[in-house]
Amino acid sequence: MIKNKFKPVRICITLFLLFFGLILHAQQKTITGKITTKDDGFGLPGVNVVLKGTTIGVSSDFDGNYSIQVEGDNPILVFSYIGFKTQEINVGSNTIINVQLEDDAANLDEVVVIGYGTTKKSDITGSVSSVKSEELSAFPVLSTEQALQGRAAGVAVQSNNGGEPGAPINIRIRGNTSIGASSAALVVVDGFIGGSIPQPNDVASIEVLKDASATAIYGSRGANGVILVTTKKGTKGKMQIELNSSYAIQNITETLDLLNANQFANYRQQINPAYTQGPVDTDWQDLIYRTGSVSNHQLSFSGGSDKINYYVSGNYFKQDGIVINSDFERFSFLGNIDIQATDRLKLGFNSFANRGNKNGVQSQASSGGSGGGDVISTAYRFAPDQPIQDANGVNTTNPVGDEFDNPVAIARESVDDTTTDDYRANFYADYELIDGLSFKTTFGFSTVNRTRGRFLPSTLIGQASGQGGIASIESLKGTDILSENYLTYNKDFDKHSLTALLGYSYQKTRRERYSAESQNFISNSVSYFNLAAGSNVQTPVSNLTESEIVSQFARVNYEYDDRYLLTLTARRDGASNFAKNNKYAFFPSGAIGWNISNEEFLSESNTISNLKLRASYGVTGNPSINPYQSLASLDAIYAAVGDQTVNAVVPQQLANPDLKWESSYQTNIGVDFGFFDNRLTTTLDYYNIDTKDLILGDSGAPEYIGFSRLESLRNVGEINNKGFEITISSLNVANDNFTWSTDLNWATNKVEVVKLINGEDIFLDSAPGSFLQDQTHILREGEAVGVFWGYEYQGVYQGGAVPAGQGTYEGAEAGDELFTDLDGDGIITGDDRKIIGDPNQDWTFGLNNTFTYKNFDLNIFFQGAIGGDIFSYTFLELASGESNATTEVLNAWTPANTNTNVPSAKVREKRINSRFVYDGSYVRLKNLALGYNLPTDVIGKFGLQGLRVSLSGQNLLTFTDFPGTDPEASYQSQGNQNNNVNLGFDYGSYPNIRSYTLSLNLKF
Amino acid sequence: MKNLAYLSLLLLFFTGCSDLEEVPEGQLAPDGFFQSPQDVQTVINGAIGSMATEAYWGRKLSLPIMLRSDMVSIGDQGTPGRRQDVNNFTMADDNGMVTALWPRAYLVIGATNEAILAAEGLDFPAEQVNPIKAQAHFFRAYTYYHLVRLFGDIPYLDRPVDNIAEARTISKTSAVDVYQNIISDLLEAKSNLPDVQPTRALPSKATAAAFLASVYLTIGDFSNAYAEAKFVIDNEGTFELELTPDFQDLFNADVQGSLKEPLLNLDFNGFSDGNTGRDYTPALTGIRANEKGNIGGGWSVAVPTIEVYNTWDGRDYRKAVSLDTTGIFDGIVEPFSKFPDFDSRNIQSAYIAKYTRFPGQTSAGNGRGSSLNYALMRYAEVLLIAAEALNETSPGSAEAAGYVNRVRARARNGGAFPEDVVAGLSQDEFRDLIIEERKWELAFEFKRWYDIKRRQLGNEVFGPTGLEPQPNFDPARDYLFPLPNDELERNPNLLPNNSGY
Repeated sequence: MIKNKFKPVRICITLFLLFFGLILHAQQKTITGKITTKDDGFGLPGVNVVLKGTTIGVSSDFDGNYSIQVEGDNPILVFSYIGFKTQEINVGSNTIINVQLEDDAANLDEVVVIGYGTTKKSDITGSVSSVKSEELSAFPVLSTEQALQGRAAGVAVQSNNGGEPGAPINIRIRGNTSIGASSAALVVVDGFIGGSIPQPNDVASIEVLKDASATAIYGSRGANGVILVTTKKGTKGKMQIELNSSYAIQNITETLDLLNANQFANYRQQINPAYTQGPVDTDWQDLIYRTGSVSNHQLSFSGGSDKINYYVSGNYFKQDGIVINSDFERFSFLGNIDIQATDRLKLGFNSFANRGNKNGVQSQASSGGSGGGDVISTAYRFAPDQPIQDANGVNTTNPVGDEFDNPVAIARESVDDTTTDDYRANFYADYELIDGLSFKTTFGFSTVNRTRGRFLPSTLIGQASGQGGIASIESLKGTDILSENYLTYNKDFDKHSLTALLGYSYQKTRRERYSAESQNFISNSVSYFNLAAGSNVQTPVSNLTESEIVSQFARVNYEYDDRYLLTLTARRDGASNFAKNNKYAFFPSGAIGWNISNEEFLSESNTISNLKLRASYGVTGNPSINPYQSLASLDAIYAAVGDQTVNAVVPQQLANPDLKWESSYQTNIGVDFGFFDNRLTTTLDYYNIDTKDLILGDSGAPEYIGFSRLESLRNVGEINNKGFEITISSLNVANDNFTWSTDLNWATNKVEVVKLINGEDIFLDSAPGSFLQDQTHILREGEAVGVFWGYEYQGVYQGGAVPAGQGTYEGAEAGDELFTDLDGDGIITGDDRKIIGDPNQDWTFGLNNTFTYKNFDLNIFFQGAIGGDIFSYTFLELASGESNATTEVLNAWTPANTNTNVPSAKVREKRINSRFVYDGSYVRLKNLALGYNLPTDVIGKFGLQGLRVSLSGQNLLTFTDFPGTDPEASYQSQGNQNNNVNLGFDYGSYPNIRSYTLSLNLKF
Repeated sequence: MKNLAYLSLLLLFFTGCSDLEEVPEGQLAPDGFFQSPQDVQTVINGAIGSMATEAYWGRKLSLPIMLRSDMVSIGDQGTPGRRQDVNNFTMADDNGMVTALWPRAYLVIGATNEAILAAEGLDFPAEQVNPIKAQAHFFRAYTYYHLVRLFGDIPYLDRPVDNIAEARTISKTSAVDVYQNIISDLLEAKSNLPDVQPTRALPSKATAAAFLASVYLTIGDFSNAYAEAKFVIDNEGTFELELTPDFQDLFNADVQGSLKEPLLNLDFNGFSDGNTGRDYTPALTGIRANEKGNIGGGWSVAVPTIEVYNTWDGRDYRKAVSLDTTGIFDGIVEPFSKFPDFDSRNIQSAYIAKYTRFPGQTSAGNGRGSSLNYALMRYAEVLLIAAEALNETSPGSAEAAGYVNRVRARARNGGAFPEDVVAGLSQDEFRDLIIEERKWELAFEFKRWYDIKRRQLGNEVFGPTGLEPQPNFDPARDYLFPLPNDELERNPNLLPNNSGY
């Protein structure tokens, strides 16, 4: 009943498209042509072509072709493009005008967005990567975040849950600079801090601020790096209409090799001879997976006059997941209006609205065990000899070990709907007070409303039968108000150039949450929309958090003779969520740059066209303290005395008035090279980040302290990240018909725990709850962050004397596990654990090759990560003897099969050990896309300016030794206190997907 | 430049508008919370609620002490390894049940410490404060009593932790000292608790005395054990105590609330908030696929060995109350020899019936979330403590036999078995008789493991002729559980672990 909510709207959109299709053209004289660069003669996309004295304008397509209608006497066309000299050409009687644009040396620079302003690329002293619109939309992706993957050195993009529709995505810059706090980069959309990112086709550019010089302007929120998103704006000229449509089909890339019914029965009988084989042979993975699809449609209008520019767009996205009954649907709208109100006053308004509707199936269960409602892990665990329903039409539950429902019943019958509405409105006024001094004020408001409804009907025996059905509804309302006011001063005199910024910012965040649950329903038909129909009403929950942040910030950029650059930045943040004794924080940074290529001795060089040295140092912070987390608190709990429910509290946590934000001290040294008129450019960066006063939920406090929240926040130590990043762009071949360009980015990062309180190890836990494993990874001085902690597997015990240096558990018999015995007492205890794996990747890269031949283009994009280990809870659970198993157990130890590495079939504790640590290195062909631009003279007849079709495939090939479903595994990394250190774990993740996409791009 | 002046004003306005103090609406803060004795009671309720939860009496404490004994073993061979390891004496220092019950026990203690400190800070008449404060002393003693028996030497905290750095370096307190602290807490409780409480979920003077008797018995101070038990027995009228006539009623959730036999109940009432308030014992002890009671059967995890059924005299009414020998499958009553036919996780044995026959309203399937009250001490045990202690100090007394006979008289339920104790038993014979009587009277009531440990019976009961032969049993190691390994890593001053771990 929920699924078709959007149907009427979809029809409306179709009509809307038809309508605009009809009004496209008016018949005038059409001029076509190709715009090329004078230097190398290849096509120049995005050139503005405007009919002089009118608002009529177009821009050139991917290959530099354009088509424009002209009218009037003596029409003149104006061709302009940033970095090139503007040309005006009299049309006369020509209908074909080819234009060669000449480099404008003085205007060579790209403009790059930085915090609270823009700057020329050549003036940048910090480490900033820019990703342009063309790269973001080079191939179809589910979200802008995904489009960033592999595009910028040192930027890691990872889905929290494989290919799950609507799964959140983490962006990390330069490794994890934190352990207990979020390591997610700060996202700033059109100046709005914490805004959600619009669809890729709406984005003009993304700047990734990496070093302290660039991020210190965001002070206590800058330590994880900053992603600045700039959305598209209208440009002066005729209205441009653009339609982007794509349709993809999707498939799972990997499944696990599990036992079939006969093998399973045989295996169970080794554990419990009484086991009787079930009636059928079911491949649960086959039943829960299907071919999924994605359709994505975007329509935008943009244009402008002398005074007003506008850009509006609408997007519809629908994904049918590759797991049955999982889908995601999204509507979003973006509007940007900029008004030159007077000579000195500019006004603007930016709005964004988004609705996401996720109809999910549960995966990545946090508990597992009997509470398992996780479709993926239950598909692995569930007995293959059982049908979906028994002869009486009752859903089957697992016949061995803990009772849980079969995955098909869960996927079909459980309801888990999340609707998220996201609105943002941001207004600005920019007033030039005197020449060179302007004041800008912005006022923005954003709200997120999320409702999640869940229903487990009583037909799900394991999860809800005893309760007679379980329904719950949960609601979150978050609002953010942001007001920023700043002065910018610009002055050039002689060879000096100065830009100064001084500002003030206030932000208030409020989160309200409530939830209600009811059980034992009259009927399974009410879902979660009639909680009163349940007779067993659960304790309702509500809470509120509020926080404020007040900041002053300043920046000075000074430049002498285009050669010597200096940037000084500072921000002071005061935040309510900081602890009582540390309410204010100050974050300074400084950077210098030297444009060596502008020195005389290089100015004549034919080889080196650009050479710049950069160095910066600064401090940024990570607030990482949620509201109220430094305060002492009591926890209200459920209790009955004399069978009556009573008020009851227990101590929850101690106050920590000295809790400090985390500070990162970052050094960055970089070099930018450009060779052969910048046909080959290279950027090298080295960085060193010391993060101090790390905040962590698990402070190593012993559990006997007697609080219900044992992981209350403490400043626990210091880590160091250092690394090296290389970006190379090269135009390998360029002639009239054929071009080949290559972009490579490569990054390596080494993380080390430098200091912990008293040098004591900190143990962490990310295992599914039902595993009851308290220690799965560790922080230890001198080691990388989040290394796996467990026993070192040595093979199978053959009975008799235990080999030297190895041990077994007390009471072990032949066929049990052998582990390394570290303390030499012959018995395996907790003291025999050690570091058994490192999830941190040695290096990551993205390699992008683009070829064009006439109107065809081909994009091949590889992305990879080398050297990170994965610990698989999935394989550990499947080997525990409680459920189905992988085919590995066919080679299990038996008295007749002793030469094996696989222990005997038996129920064992799920101990963390090296047997389940795998090399997670991978190289992936992320994208292969072939595009074709229809010739301008053909489509011009239909009034079109551009028509492009492309066919692409994503995740076509993966090279990896990891035996699980996806080496980009991620478990317990979201919504978890210790999300930064929970690296490289895999459990029941929604698998990665391969897609084949057909895309269409139309420009009117 | 007028504009600039305005702007400066604007900036000032914004700067002045927040002092950044946090005012957490909806969050409970300890500062100013304790205004009256009732607020202290709220924290004591928190201690009680923290016991009636999955991580403690709902499963993580109750199941190990059941499995550890000779009367309950593993049914489903596919049940998680941590349970099998406790049962088979193969547990390691990372056992998942130990690591779960440990923090929960200390949360209960933390709440009682908070309550005691808060009570001391109240400006109220002593007669209003002390009876409530005495409850906190009682529950602290009760919780440490479990811990000291399970683990031996343990960290002992008697006030709320206000400095984690200090708390994490403390050493273990010896079991001897812990017992002394338990005794002084119970004495404090005994002197201030009322004779009768409005509900048996709260401790009375008699409860404190009964637990004193139990503690003294455990440490071998028989004269004090006898004295405390005798104090309860002599004042049974004042304390409103009696043996419930029908043994079955003790395990019937619908009538438990009105019985006069329990001296302390831990109440479940069929509601829960997640795992808080949720009882798993009926599910853990129930028969898989059993249609009796219509709760979807149990999980066949904790099941008596067949020897329990074989060695228990069939004329004993308590056997019929304590064990289920049949189940209903496909609508037909079947004997236990057929149980595995209907689910391979069942075994051919009589199952525990005390918690599955009348669990009351349940909040979840399989008997999870029962409405049962668990009697942590009942009057029959007080009588047996008196008899056992008296036999140690003055063997051969008719008084001691009399106490056992009261228990046996109720057990007869109108029949002829068990007969009264015959006169003329030696001290040793009477000692064995008492321990045997406790075995049947208190079967599956989470007492047996502590009796085996107290009397060092392991070699006998886990030997080849015992109820549950366990070749791995090692008396040098297995009378104590291991302290959780991760806790020793957080505070190395707690090292070494118990012998053998």
